[in-house]
Amino acid sequence: MTSLTVIRRRAGRWALNGAAGLALAYILLPLIFVVWLAFFRQEIPSFPPEGYSLKWFAAILDQRKFVDGFSLSFRVGVLATAIGLALGVPAALCLVRYNFKGRGPLANLLLLPVVVPGVVLGTAMYVFHVEAENALDVDVLGTFYALVAGHIVIVIPWVVRLVTASLVGVDRAIEEAAQNLGANAWVTFWRITLPSIRPGIVAGALFGFVTSFGNLEMSLFLVGAGRTTLPIVILQYLEWKIDPTIAAVSVIQILLIAIAMLVTDRYVKLSRVV
Amino acid sequence: MSATAVATGPVVEKRRGEGLTATALLAPATIFVAICLLAPLAYLFRYSLNDFVATKKMMVEAVTIANYVKFFTDPYYTAILGTTVRIAVMVTAACLVLGFPLAYVMARTQSRFKNVLIILTVLPLFVGNAVRSAGWMVIFGNKGFFNASLQGLGLIEKPIEIMYTEKAVIIGIIAVNLPFMVLTLQSVIESIDRAVEEAAFSLGAPPLTMFRRVLWPLAMPGILAGTILCFILAMNAYATPFLLGGPLFKMMAPLVYNQFTQQANWPFGGAIAFILMSVTLGLTLIANLIFQRKAAR
Repeated sequence: MTSLTVIRRRAGRWALNGAAGLALAYILLPLIFVVWLAFFRQEIPSFPPEGYSLKWFAAILDQRKFVDGFSLSFRVGVLATAIGLALGVPAALCLVRYNFKGRGPLANLLLLPVVVPGVVLGTAMYVFHVEAENALDVDVLGTFYALVAGHIVIVIPWVVRLVTASLVGVDRAIEEAAQNLGANAWVTFWRITLPSIRPGIVAGALFGFVTSFGNLEMSLFLVGAGRTTLPIVILQYLEWKIDPTIAAVSVIQILLIAIAMLVTDRYVKLSRVV
Repeated sequence: MSATAVATGPVVEKRRGEGLTATALLAPATIFVAICLLAPLAYLFRYSLNDFVATKKMMVEAVTIANYVKFFTDPYYTAILGTTVRIAVMVTAACLVLGFPLAYVMARTQSRFKNVLIILTVLPLFVGNAVRSAGWMVIFGNKGFFNASLQGLGLIEKPIEIMYTEKAVIIGIIAVNLPFMVLTLQSVIESIDRAVEEAAFSLGAPPLTMFRRVLWPLAMPGILAGTILCFILAMNAYATPFLLGGPLFKMMAPLVYNQFTQQANWPFGGAIAFILMSVTLGLTLIANLIFQRKAAR
């Protein structure tokens, strides 16, 4: 190889890495500026900053709506993820292990909620809740459980998808061996199947929870008076103004999600599930 | 999305009682999704065929396509649909161009920081569109980083208006959708054998030729999947146009929201929601057909 081709190839490699770095910087740029703003001393986001301060993190606690929003989003996320797992894991087991008519359409039905736009999901559920309220004569619209039900719908596709992916790699022979040795169906599931699909369950739970926690479009239609999730609180605040307080709220959210992802990454390589 | 993975799973021969177990496993989730998703969609569609009396702000039961006709005959609404499609196409093209190099590097790197790269790409997805819009507001505001830097360098005298323009919306949605494109492309490029590229190189192909003749065709399924995903997301964008576009800038998803909450016109809002879904799916199908015809040639 002549030295010219070596130089050319090296230049090409640098150009490629540079282009990749540019794209990554583009993705991260808004987050970097939000984090930067959270530490400004002055309230207005003007550059260069007059100085730095941590006071905005304390200011979050003075605003009940952030604390309440966080608390509601967390409770909805946990409950929706738990129920989503209870519904989604058996469904994934069935879709992989049994062959029956209509398996493809049913699988698509369970994956459908991620494809339907958030605004359409929200409006449809809103209309449905109004109808249910009229028909059943009980409060539905804007209640905690109606909100959770909506969130379960968007958690299920993640659980089904990720558990299915991890089940396909499990050798059926091990389960049959357990049953030949006298284990019943329940023991086989508990001792053999469950441990081998644990990565899929962990990943499904993480992605489900984070999807629920961050959901904005659908939740906009489902929240009631005095009951608002964190993303909606953030949206409504930003519509009015941008200041270091909202940036500090975002920093805490970014930190929590980063920690959750690092923990999950220990159980299951993220590169294999996304 | 991974319906194919479901369909190709290992299949076991039927035994007695299996039908019952299978039903017990699958039924709860199916019934739940049917009640909480399919039924609401059916109701929304039914509502979109109802009448609306604007003077009384009241919905009247009817079976009429008036709402759909109203949308397509009023230039105000068709212009919003046009803007949405135009922005979605631009965003998707930009994401493909920007995303490919990053996806390639992520797929081929041997570095132990590969996981860090992936986490850095996935993290913004979960932070929420509103927070990321806030970042762009800090950058593009009148006293923001972009204008303050240019003024500091003496390049401009008055701040450039970027916030509350189409430019800001496009820049914002690209950043939102780029990770989806990168992750989709990355997984496909990873499955392409490195040796194929090496073969092209050792036969004397320059990098660009290798890309055009080898990598691009082999990565086509991923390119198509990423493009479709990116397009759908851009068509349905809500928070970014709402925050970065300002009150006068209109795209389809904020329009649906506005019809429901501000105008209380549920039939028309429902009709717009279904038009948005149908146009998105329709354009996706057309793109798919064009691609398949090209591939068959």
